[in-house]
Amino acid sequence: MECFSLLRSDVPALIDHLGDFGEVIAPHGKGDVSYSFEVVRDSSDVVLDYNRTLLPLKKMFLPPVEKLIGFSLKNESYEQVDVAIAPRVFFGVHSYEMQSILRLDHSMLSGSAESNYFKRRQSSRFVGISFEPDEFHFSESVGVVIEEMEGFDLFLNEVDDDFQLYVLTDNGQEMLNGFDKINLTEPEIVEGRNFKKKIRYHYNRLPRVFQYAYHSDVWADVASRCVGCGACTLTCPTCFCFDVQDHVEVTAEDGMRQRSWDSCMLSTFAEVAGGENFREKTINRTRHRLFRKFKYITDEEGLPWCVGCGRCTAFCPAGISMPDIVNELIQEDEKAQYHRTVRV
Amino acid sequence: MKRLQDVEHHETEDLYYPTMCKVTGARQITDMEKWYELEMPEGTSLGHSPGQFVEVSAFGIGEAPISISSSPSKNGKFELCIRQVGTLTNVLKNYETGDMMGIRGPFGQGYPMDNLFGKDILIVAGGIGLVPLRSLINYVLDNRKNFGRLIILYGAKTPSELLFTEELKVWEERDDVELHVTVDQPDETWKGNTGVITTLIPSLDLKLNTTIAAITGPPVMYKFVVMSLKSKQLPDDQIYLSLERRMKCGVGKCGHCQINGVYCCQDGPVFNYADIKPLEEAL
Repeated sequence: MECFSLLRSDVPALIDHLGDFGEVIAPHGKGDVSYSFEVVRDSSDVVLDYNRTLLPLKKMFLPPVEKLIGFSLKNESYEQVDVAIAPRVFFGVHSYEMQSILRLDHSMLSGSAESNYFKRRQSSRFVGISFEPDEFHFSESVGVVIEEMEGFDLFLNEVDDDFQLYVLTDNGQEMLNGFDKINLTEPEIVEGRNFKKKIRYHYNRLPRVFQYAYHSDVWADVASRCVGCGACTLTCPTCFCFDVQDHVEVTAEDGMRQRSWDSCMLSTFAEVAGGENFREKTINRTRHRLFRKFKYITDEEGLPWCVGCGRCTAFCPAGISMPDIVNELIQEDEKAQYHRTVRV
Repeated sequence: MKRLQDVEHHETEDLYYPTMCKVTGARQITDMEKWYELEMPEGTSLGHSPGQFVEVSAFGIGEAPISISSSPSKNGKFELCIRQVGTLTNVLKNYETGDMMGIRGPFGQGYPMDNLFGKDILIVAGGIGLVPLRSLINYVLDNRKNFGRLIILYGAKTPSELLFTEELKVWEERDDVELHVTVDQPDETWKGNTGVITTLIPSLDLKLNTTIAAITGPPVMYKFVVMSLKSKQLPDDQIYLSLERRMKCGVGKCGHCQINGVYCCQDGPVFNYADIKPLEEAL
């Protein structure tokens, strides 16, 4: 693994250079406090220091709204949709975001492998960047450190205001061909970038905590504060649930079948025709969300389906904190264990 | 964990393209339910097993999961029976012979027929639950020698809501079918059993080691039927239930049909009771 030094002032030149390998998508400022992954028009617009984008990178692989088929009502027929496979370079991606894409790979490609997702994913390259954890990031607690480089082709680690550029794959090597503003250097360990938010247990102990958490009082407390808006799931980089709806044009002759992001936190998510609702109460839905992150898939794959980006907490209008819920469950579990032990 | 590099392009699927099937028969059989016979294009076969479902679509309205009602032993064509209860199904009501219906599937796990061969089959159908179970019943009848007794318990709210009344008559007359029908609210012409479906269970004489029960009905019914069968000492793993959920995509992605961590559209809709007993959200 080669490591190069790169001046902060030369990063725009690198972004311009990467444009030879596809459309470059990178974080941009949006308003004063918000960030967004957007197509780069001017490399000097790209933001290198950001806490998190509002919408996760999944929007580039599972678009918020996606046409599945176009149909003709008149002919009772439909046409297929060709998914564009132009190469793309994702620049300035944090480690937790990359980990979320690797989890989405599993969700969309295991069992029935979805071709739309596959095509978008296959033609993508990734350039990572380190970040300074804020009060919401807790990715270290779910096994994702700042310098986790899995999935990236190149990785920029900030050292003393400039960068060290790691070359991780052949694609990464190729992307640096002809770029002369880098110099070979020795990798340095960066100290002092500490996570302020933590889950108290190592993530591999969480499935056991959740095993006894189904009937916990914590859920009722969370449900009493939750407004059921679904912001947590829409901003979650590993949530992938969707709805499919038909839309007819005003001519009433043609239309399209679209899928759009959906949320298990919305009250009608599990409702069937006739009115039966299999997760009718908020308490059922808040619990389901957390179990999806720390128990159901984790039991099978050994990894939490949460990458610690902190979005669900940072963007919750009710101030509900995912790591706080988990810590409360841990505390409750410890109390229960104590009582079990004392009784013996 | 499945990784991108583990997947070849040819292994991926266009999961959301329906197959256009011609309606070759359509008949409103009760106030609420319509029966359809459909034909796959170019003489292909749907290739389902009893208990599976398809996603039916009408362009401009959407898709919904619908049970397959015919036996795979019926060659060439397949049948659906659809209750008019939502937006899509109320549009499908207008579909007649010659119309084209979009179909995806078949999806999910049906009855594990290998485990059912040679066994006594106890069918417990509540209301529209007879629709998917009719696939199993007719499969058993078409392969009658491969099974033991066929006991059918069927309950409906009123006599006018009974489905497939002509077939019920045929089953009634056969010596190798034990049919028991009950209604909750009898009318003046009704001469049969009255009461909920569980009232038919206590008097049954079941051979516990060879009986397999297959239950389908409204969500509220399952607990009570299972309780009745348990009081007859029928083992958990000899009970199969078909569960209704909002199976939107049919391919284990969209999340709507989840029962705790289980996708109903993939691991169900037919479940072994022993497998779903620990799932809090199942029954």
